[in-house]
Amino acid sequence: MTDVTVPEDLWDANKTPEGIVANWFYSDGAEVPEGATLAELMVEKSSFDIAAPAAGTLRIVVPKDGTVRPGSVIARLESG
Amino acid sequence: MSSNRQLTVSRAMAEAIALEMRTDPSVFVMGEDIGTYGGIFGATAGLLDEFGEERVRDTPISETGFIGAGVGAAMAGMRPIVELMFVDFFGVCMDSIYNLAAKNTYFSGGNCKVPMVIMTATGGGYSDAGQHSQTLHATFAHLPGMKVVAPSNAYDAKGLMAAAIRDDSPVVFMFHKGLQGLAWMASPEEAATAVPEEAYTLPFGEARVVRAGKDVTLVTLSMMVHRAMDAARALEKDGIDAEVIDLRSLVPLDRETILQSVAKTGRLVVVDEDYRSYGLTAEVIASVVEKDPGLLKAPPQRLAVPDVPIPYSRPMEQFVLPNAETIAAATRITLGKAG
Amino acid sequence: MPSKAQLLWMYEAMEKARYYEDTMATVYMEGKQPKFDIGAGTVPGEMHLAAGQEPCAAGVCVHLRPEDTVTAPHRPHHVAIAKGVDLNRMTAEIFGKKSGLSGGRGGHMHLFDPAVNFACSGIIAEGTGPAVGAALAAKLKGSDAISVSYIGEGAANQGATHEALNLAGLWKLPVVFVIEDNAWGISVPKSKATAIADTSQRAAGYGMPGHHVADNDTLALFEVAGEAVARARRGEGPSLIEVETYRYYGHFQGDPELYRPKGEVEALKAKDPIERLRKAMLEGGEITAEEADAARDRARQEVDEAYAFARAADYPAPEEALTHVFA
Ligand SMILES: Cc1ncc(C[n+]2csc(CCOP(=O)(O)OP(=O)(O)O)c2C)c(N)n1
Repeated sequence: MTDVTVPEDLWDANKTPEGIVANWFYSDGAEVPEGATLAELMVEKSSFDIAAPAAGTLRIVVPKDGTVRPGSVIARLESG
Repeated sequence: MSSNRQLTVSRAMAEAIALEMRTDPSVFVMGEDIGTYGGIFGATAGLLDEFGEERVRDTPISETGFIGAGVGAAMAGMRPIVELMFVDFFGVCMDSIYNLAAKNTYFSGGNCKVPMVIMTATGGGYSDAGQHSQTLHATFAHLPGMKVVAPSNAYDAKGLMAAAIRDDSPVVFMFHKGLQGLAWMASPEEAATAVPEEAYTLPFGEARVVRAGKDVTLVTLSMMVHRAMDAARALEKDGIDAEVIDLRSLVPLDRETILQSVAKTGRLVVVDEDYRSYGLTAEVIASVVEKDPGLLKAPPQRLAVPDVPIPYSRPMEQFVLPNAETIAAATRITLGKAG
Repeated sequence: MPSKAQLLWMYEAMEKARYYEDTMATVYMEGKQPKFDIGAGTVPGEMHLAAGQEPCAAGVCVHLRPEDTVTAPHRPHHVAIAKGVDLNRMTAEIFGKKSGLSGGRGGHMHLFDPAVNFACSGIIAEGTGPAVGAALAAKLKGSDAISVSYIGEGAANQGATHEALNLAGLWKLPVVFVIEDNAWGISVPKSKATAIADTSQRAAGYGMPGHHVADNDTLALFEVAGEAVARARRGEGPSLIEVETYRYYGHFQGDPELYRPKGEVEALKAKDPIERLRKAMLEGGEITAEEADAARDRARQEVDEAYAFARAADYPAPEEALTHVFA
């Protein structure tokens, strides 16, 4: 199983503590290939794409519009 | 493997363009802020990185110039995609669109063609006032020589964009800002859909029955498909079974699907986010009536922006735009169940 | 050289505009956090702020009278303030309230105050023609009123600008064209949009003098604009002034500004034009720090009152959308 983690250095958390998950591009339970764009985060005014670090079955931890911080686990990828 | 991938409309558009650009070197994109910014509404995101500044060109704020240049490039063998940032800006450059792009094929007796795509953002609902909120569907559909499409979801957007790029006629691709799935603008859930990774096209002039029903036909397109579906779900609770038709393109218009549906239901409600008079709503109703007035068991209803500019202030803007409640109310009227 | 009164007037107008925009930046985010939704909050829709561009407004409008016409673009607040637009009703308009300048129909890109002949529009370069028309009307009526047309450097590449410049030059109309060169048209730098570096050179092609004001210098603009306005009032025809100015905020609020070089804004803020004017004023010896502070405090109080007025105001009834389509 692989965690899908918000990179620690994606944004300056001292300036903006939280962002949100703006979009999920796969639904919970979907099989995703490694490198696929999984989600879009919105931090204040900027958006960032999160790619799948491995192939696997997506288990969403933070739903659309949920808040995230650098280091947050937003999903898990179960290897089948 | 990836048929379960849910794309937003903006990403579906950008993907369609990228796929065509990879296989056809004559395709290029130009417009304001379409390069580094990726398009204000995301329709060209990522293209500059992949294809470079020659084929993904930020332009000066000179719409007459660069849309006219699109016409010339198209006639010279290229397949330009030009973005008019908001459809409302057509006022500064319409001549290039309706007198050149739209007429040159005809004027040349078919000896010239203008294979260009003009993609442009439509729609309101987020308080951007009367110069940034119109849809102007009928303005473009009225003038001969342009195909006009207005998708309601990501799957359609990708297929219609690919078809638009490959078409030998000018195509006006009208995408609704509120359907793009942008992180900073609210968007209906159903606008993002499963989208295959490979290239595919969808034919113009084929409406889609989004929801089959037997009591009444709701005909619409673009954002209003989602409002009509909300209305249909509400009506279902009252035992009313509405059929919802997404036209997908205004030109060509799929009159056949409308007629078949009305022949079945006998009741018609047409919904458009454009101005009411001289528009899509009238065209759809006329298409039914001129074929067979006997198809209708009750007077048809139409919902559109009453003939006023789109106001800025939220209560006034929400009042002039059709919504699920007003659509449901109009539907009840056609069924004689008002009040 | 500006008189003491003119200096204080410009300083106050600039402080007012700055404080207005900084307040708006905060108010605009109300109801848009943590999720930024452009249609949500106290002030929805697009918002283009002009912090950093205050010299362009004050340095020109200080020479104007209420009967002079000003047309502004989508970034209008600083110019509206310097032209004397009713601040309470302007703010109420931006809040979408019934007591707004247009009863909430127009919003921030469509501010109209006929009492001071101010109008703006969200279509790039669209104010140039109407400014020429107002100048023509003044000429036909035998008045010495003039027009000022504000556009951005990006708008200088729009067809309408060139047609209007030619008309004004041809008919020797009393118009001053002011190009606010803030270096960016949304994400596109001037160097990637404009074929020449100094747009004021285009004036020659339209038979009018062109002036270039470097580095957002209020006092230099004061001189150049004074000359252009006087020339127009004397009936000698139009002028074109390009002012190098600063855009502190993004193109609109919500702009991620990924295109913008790191440190650019900080470097501009280090030479803030309001600070520079204040320093020059005080060094001139005629104005004391107390006088300047009083002007600044007055300006801020007026702005605070305008926001309070707008907040307290009522929304229009939905059906009011149907009125005022025709005169
Ligand atoms: C005819 C038209 N085209 C495009 C736009 C979209 N747009 C709004 S502001 C802007 C950039 C304007 O740049 P500039 O004239 O330099 O003014 P600034 O925003 O820098 O103040 C653009 C392209 C518009 N409003 N109208």
